[in-house]
Amino acid sequence: MRKILGLFGLAVILAGAAVAQVKIAPLNFKERTLANGMKIVSVRENSSPTVSIHVWYDVGGKDDPEGRSGFAHMFEHMMFKSTKNMPNEKLDRLTEDVGGFNNASTWEDYTNYYEVVPSNHLEVLLWAEGDRMVNLNVDEKNFASEREVVKEEFRQSVLAQPYGRFFEYIGSLSYQKHPYQRGVIGNLAELDAATSKDAREFYNTFYRPDNATLIVAGDFDQSQFDGWVDKYFGRIQKPSGTIPRVKVTEPVRTTEKRYLKTAPNVPFPAVAITYLGPNSKSEDMAALEIAETILSGGESSRLYQSLIYQQQIAQEADFSVDTRIDTGLLYFYAIASEGHTAQELEKSLMTELKKIQTAPVTIKELQKAKNQIITGAFQALETNDGKALAIERAMIYEGSAKAVNEGIAKLQAVTVADVQRVMKKYFTQNNRVVIYYQAEGETK
Amino acid sequence: MKNSKFKLVAAFGILLFAILIGINAQEPTPSAPKSVRMPAVTEKKLQNELTVAVVERKNVPLVTVQLLIRGGADSEGFAKAGLANMTAGLLTKGTTTRSATQIAQQMEFLGGSIGSSAGWNNSAVSINVMSDKLDQALAIMADVVLNPKFAPKEIDLLKAQIQDGLSYSLKQPGFLANYVASVYSFGEHPSGGTPDSIKSIQRTDILNFKRENYLPNNSVLIFTGDITAEKATALAKKFFGSWKIPPPPKASTTRLGKPMFFNTGTPLFRRMLVVDLPNAGQASVNYTKSVIESGRVRCASGKCESSEIFYPAKVMNSVLGGGYSSRLNQEIRIKRGLSYGAGSDFGWRGTSANFGTRTQTKNESAAEVAELVLAEIKKLAESNLAENELNPRKLVITGDFGRDLETNGGLAEAVSAIYGYFLSTNELNTFMPAVQSVTADQVQKFSNEYLMGGDLIIVGDYAKFKDDLAKRFPQFKVTLITAEKLDLMKLDGN
Repeated sequence: MRKILGLFGLAVILAGAAVAQVKIAPLNFKERTLANGMKIVSVRENSSPTVSIHVWYDVGGKDDPEGRSGFAHMFEHMMFKSTKNMPNEKLDRLTEDVGGFNNASTWEDYTNYYEVVPSNHLEVLLWAEGDRMVNLNVDEKNFASEREVVKEEFRQSVLAQPYGRFFEYIGSLSYQKHPYQRGVIGNLAELDAATSKDAREFYNTFYRPDNATLIVAGDFDQSQFDGWVDKYFGRIQKPSGTIPRVKVTEPVRTTEKRYLKTAPNVPFPAVAITYLGPNSKSEDMAALEIAETILSGGESSRLYQSLIYQQQIAQEADFSVDTRIDTGLLYFYAIASEGHTAQELEKSLMTELKKIQTAPVTIKELQKAKNQIITGAFQALETNDGKALAIERAMIYEGSAKAVNEGIAKLQAVTVADVQRVMKKYFTQNNRVVIYYQAEGETK
Repeated sequence: MKNSKFKLVAAFGILLFAILIGINAQEPTPSAPKSVRMPAVTEKKLQNELTVAVVERKNVPLVTVQLLIRGGADSEGFAKAGLANMTAGLLTKGTTTRSATQIAQQMEFLGGSIGSSAGWNNSAVSINVMSDKLDQALAIMADVVLNPKFAPKEIDLLKAQIQDGLSYSLKQPGFLANYVASVYSFGEHPSGGTPDSIKSIQRTDILNFKRENYLPNNSVLIFTGDITAEKATALAKKFFGSWKIPPPPKASTTRLGKPMFFNTGTPLFRRMLVVDLPNAGQASVNYTKSVIESGRVRCASGKCESSEIFYPAKVMNSVLGGGYSSRLNQEIRIKRGLSYGAGSDFGWRGTSANFGTRTQTKNESAAEVAELVLAEIKKLAESNLAENELNPRKLVITGDFGRDLETNGGLAEAVSAIYGYFLSTNELNTFMPAVQSVTADQVQKFSNEYLMGGDLIIVGDYAKFKDDLAKRFPQFKVTLITAEKLDLMKLDGN
């Protein structure tokens, strides 16, 4: 749930000497804001009788209450429990039982709830989303049971995976002050400390129309849809009081920090090298995404070719741009192949970094990266759910739905000089955290 | 709550079914459902007997091409476990005119991707690319299929990578449980290979596997997405027309293979195997049962159709462990908070099926979860399903099926699965009605005949559930092995 891929929507025009020109219509969405502050975005696409419904709330792991790491995510689970008008798991009855599905995910910066259903069920789902926005019951029994589920989720995704803890450390050791350091999944002790009273307070604070956005993509009639929105969301009162926001600014790193972490059942050592990056709205993001693809997009990428294919010291080698609204995270990581060490991995990753900083990438590499990202963007838009998700990410990370149609143009404008500039700007010695990870009981 | 109401429309489309709910006045009622048109498959055969199947769809300017080769892990044998997958994997690692790096560079420069791997019955090579670059991408795809080099240094590298992958996977309780079950319960071998089998695979094994299985008359080239049937056929001829059926004709290998030994199902379960993985973060609890009497298809004189158990088994699985609201997830996660998720599935073979449930829980509750799993199996075999449970679980299957077809990749997979089992492409149209026509009696009969008498396999930190397991299952002898000393060849399969 951590990594965000491209922020790019449909292409306007694919330019560039080496590729044929493809002209595609932009996503044609309609946008409005209700009197209670709730934002509504809709895209009609009637080629199949299905519809995707997304409701996202501007609350995420970073908004966990003090001493309650993992709370926003645990609360997400509660949203499937009873309301004044729906019994527990009613959302599953309205989706799964009619051939659809639902899910939700909690990220550092936001939480989303989504369903895909046959389009004749759209009105029922709008009703249900409106209902759980205001009428949720938070009872003790459900809360206790769901807490156990979340603890199992923690065990499954973190404790039972050889590198589960490693990826948690990448987040937690990279931030000194910002609540991003706590991670979305939290920890067992703080999950245990949470109470149903916390849950009620959290619900009242963040689950309100002026903190929510509805995105619907698929088969519907626009005027009928607008009427349903008025009926099921328009009547929800905007509560008084302001929504608390994280105001912590992550301090600039002043010196390199190094950590050694261990865990059981770790077959090979691993290393991560992290740097604080820009926020998600930065003009540098497009160039960073190009660099990400040149360094680790596919088997022709630089890290694959060097660490995995030629030197054969790693079984996995990656560079990621972790997009975040406040301070983003840019990190390399590699997992060693048999017989190789974290030191070797660090040295080779640093060599690749130096290379991309000191010499410009080739025109061919730049074009290849653009082609890869554009194909990925089209793939992401094959389904109604993919379209809704693309709009959602544009709103969250770039601040507006229209950014969904601007991504490709921004990407096409990136030059080799831009790539070199961003790789020099953020990847400095003092902005570095290095994490070694290995099996318990092994010497370094 | 009223029961779900539904009816079938048999013409060209399938109706999505309305469920009428009247729980309170506020809740709106769904409007009438609209029909869904199933994609049409156009089929052609080239002179070299390569079948070309095309599904045109123009929503995005992308095309997926998949070459299906009938022959996978079923054709490799225990001692060479992993051979089919290695052969497929090495195709993209160099041809007589392109190095591994050039293949990746050229394909990725087109913005496309290429992948190749093997399953139990089949191998496949796939590309996904923008439609205006299909010619160039297909040239690369044909090259890797027709002219792979299998250079020794590439073989060595892939073997090392697979060994590293196994070292990693064998530390995970869920993977380890499936790995052990493939031998212990299903009489097969792990299709990804074992440390010993990977070590033993030689270049000649790979060349032989390729020669015996990668044949035009044993393959289907599937196009889905932004392409016409005419264009696809022309491209297939251009790039795969020179693919020869080599003499002598292919020896008849056993496709759709059978397991090596049988379970005879009378008691609820027969055996209990524990794999001790000290310090495991969770325990994996699995119930496994080999179905050997029937499988995915029933065939006569070269034509196959879905077997009599396939659809009842699918509906049974949806009730028991397919999707969020299935019984296992209800009992283990939703009611008791004992896991993040519990489910079940079938590994289909031509004439058999491997059934397994899966869930992970904290080590301390492994025995409790095992009891819950067994109770649900027993319940299915002993009592009939109510219609208001049966109908929604059927819609879960048909809904998933419809959504899988929404992407070019999903569509290509669905078409590939049809050809892989020698089924008619009309199966795409009959799938949803066939699911709908399954009765509660059929589900119970299937459960009663085929689910009982399997194995309980638990992988985790044994010290933490040993006593509880002995208390809850006093009459059962536990076969205990340790993960570190695991030797599949010595695992008593029966």
